[in-house]
Amino acid sequence: MKTDVLHAVRLARLDLTLVARNTTVLFNVLLLPLLMAWMFTGAQGGAEVAGVPGGAFVLTGVPGLMLGFAVFINLVNSFTARREELVLKRLRGGQPSALAVMAGSGLGALALLLGQMALLGIWLHRTEGVLPANVPLILLAAVLGVIVFALLAAAFSGLTPNAEMAQITVLPVLMVMLLGAPIAFPLDVLPGPLGTVSGLLPVTPVVEMMRTGFLGADHFSSGGEALSTAGQWVAALPSIGIMAVWIGVTGLLARWLFRWEPRHG
Amino acid sequence: MRTPQLADRVGAASGGLDDVIEVGGLRQRYGDFEAVRGISFTVPRGEVFALLGTNGAGKTTTMEVLEGFRPATDGTVRVLGLDPVRQQRELRPRVGIMLQEGGFLGDLTVAETVDLWKGLSEDAGRPVTLSGGAELPGRLTLMGRVRGVDRATMGALELVGLESKARVKVKQLSGGQKRRLDLALAVLSAPEVLFLDEPTTGMDPEARRTTWKVIEDLRDAGTSVLLTTHYLEEAERLATRLAIMHEGRIHTHGTVEEVVAASGDRIAFRLPGTSWTFGDLPVLDGVAPVLTYAGGGDGTAARPAAGSPAAPSTAPFTEVVYTLTGADTETRAHAALRPLMAWADGRGAALERLAVRRGTLEDVFMRVVGEQR
Ligand SMILES: Nc1ncnc2c1ncn2[C@@H]1O[C@H](COP(=O)(O)OP(=O)(O)OP(=O)(O)O)[C@@H](O)[C@H]1O
Ligand SMILES: [Mg+2]
Repeated sequence: MKTDVLHAVRLARLDLTLVARNTTVLFNVLLLPLLMAWMFTGAQGGAEVAGVPGGAFVLTGVPGLMLGFAVFINLVNSFTARREELVLKRLRGGQPSALAVMAGSGLGALALLLGQMALLGIWLHRTEGVLPANVPLILLAAVLGVIVFALLAAAFSGLTPNAEMAQITVLPVLMVMLLGAPIAFPLDVLPGPLGTVSGLLPVTPVVEMMRTGFLGADHFSSGGEALSTAGQWVAALPSIGIMAVWIGVTGLLARWLFRWEPRHG
Repeated sequence: MRTPQLADRVGAASGGLDDVIEVGGLRQRYGDFEAVRGISFTVPRGEVFALLGTNGAGKTTTMEVLEGFRPATDGTVRVLGLDPVRQQRELRPRVGIMLQEGGFLGDLTVAETVDLWKGLSEDAGRPVTLSGGAELPGRLTLMGRVRGVDRATMGALELVGLESKARVKVKQLSGGQKRRLDLALAVLSAPEVLFLDEPTTGMDPEARRTTWKVIEDLRDAGTSVLLTTHYLEEAERLATRLAIMHEGRIHTHGTVEEVVAASGDRIAFRLPGTSWTFGDLPVLDGVAPVLTYAGGGDGTAARPAAGSPAAPSTAPFTEVVYTLTGADTETRAHAALRPLMAWADGRGAALERLAVRRGTLEDVFMRVVGEQR
């Protein structure tokens, strides 16, 4: 177990080094969500959404975008490319266990996400004067989100025959994340059943926990009224439950679909 | 090229157990296709075992089952007494693997790649004790690092002759250089068991010799090695035992001595003309010769113009080959020569280009494959 942790940390550091050396990844994964955030905030204008200024609403939803780019797309790409180039096979034939290899990638993605969120936090403070109200809640949301989307990425990489195809296989998930999650607009904009479905998607609970954690107000329902710290945690419980279920589901999917070696024939 | 103290700890780490690798009735299927069809062999501690065979014989498949990449379809496999799949955690730190083909992270430099592997090995409780670099004249050494490269890393690179490539990106290495890096990674943590799948394929002759030296040093320090190769001289030089595989089965196995001796000694010569038949030639050591008629073209051109490509260059002749497989492997060739000479004297025939040689692994290989086709 201790070995696994050491291995995972070392592999996560490796991932960060390699991301830093790859301009395509730097742009797609790190810059793109920030660019989109800037566009969305511009589009929102000054109008209030769910009791908060539009800018603050959008910026606290942007971590949902980042989960899509820095975690999901990034990992589908890297799992697929490494499998096809036989890097995964080499790693698995070396010291790290399967668990450590996966955890390393997840940890690297978490570091990227947290780095981006730190930038976002500064941005929020500068433009909206918001300081995060509940940092532990934000961190928990980030960790749960990364686990689910890393496992989902592992599963999707199994469906992706090569690195070029990854651009296409990630699209369905990305579309659902962009349209179905309350990133730039609240859930109740969606007509009845769609709203319920959206609430069950793995990105919605993360965004709601993040938004509540940043703004200190109830963003699980459409209310937006202020909550105590304890109240925030209680309100977050259903979201945490949904994420726990998703961890189970995506874990099984990853187990079933993930491939360590290129398929033959 | 120096060989730093690669494997001081190898032998000491595990006593007892005599067969480090045990394979019994191994079968391996890929869907409908059975790649390995019931093979058995053992590798004793401190020995090199060579798995030879045709392309697609199932060598890599066998290795990968032993390396724990996939469970055996049927049969038993044990490495250091452990199940390679279910006891992978215990096994992994004690095993070194050089895959027939394994990918590198192309954006890392050679030194970074070795550093990564060294770190992973240290994390697993197997510190890398190679040292080098410091003794090299003219190198700036600072706190154990040679111009930014760790000493143990430098030692590993020296072992395989890659020290000048330390700061080069892996994707820029040539095929043979990648193979050398591969070897460095496989032996880095002084493994007790080493799996080498065609380790010298693509290496130049000098690198191949270096690799042999590395393998021999490890073997002498107690590492057990399972090796596949298509270079028969490599198997002959390194292995104590070998097996020849074809289409999923082992067709010949034993010590190199045994296998080579079983291939028989050759006596070969030419007789002028093509009118010789079996009946003319003596039976030696209980075997009749194989005759091949050759040369001469139409055999009538008396004086071909010099340099004329179409001109027949040799007179017709009969090639005679005896393969002696008598029980006394040491003296059978000698014993057969006496009656042969007596026959030649009696006939007044000259044995042209007379050659006596021991059988080779290649003879065995060709026979095994030939029999199956
Ligand atoms: N993953 C796989 N799926 C299906 N068939 C496979 C797979 N891997 C290998 N095979 C088949 O199994 C047989 C044995 O392959 P293997 O790689 O073990 O041969 P080998 O003895 O190592 O050959 P070579 O000398 O060419 O390396 C081949 O016919 C190959 O096509
Ligand atoms: Mg092979």
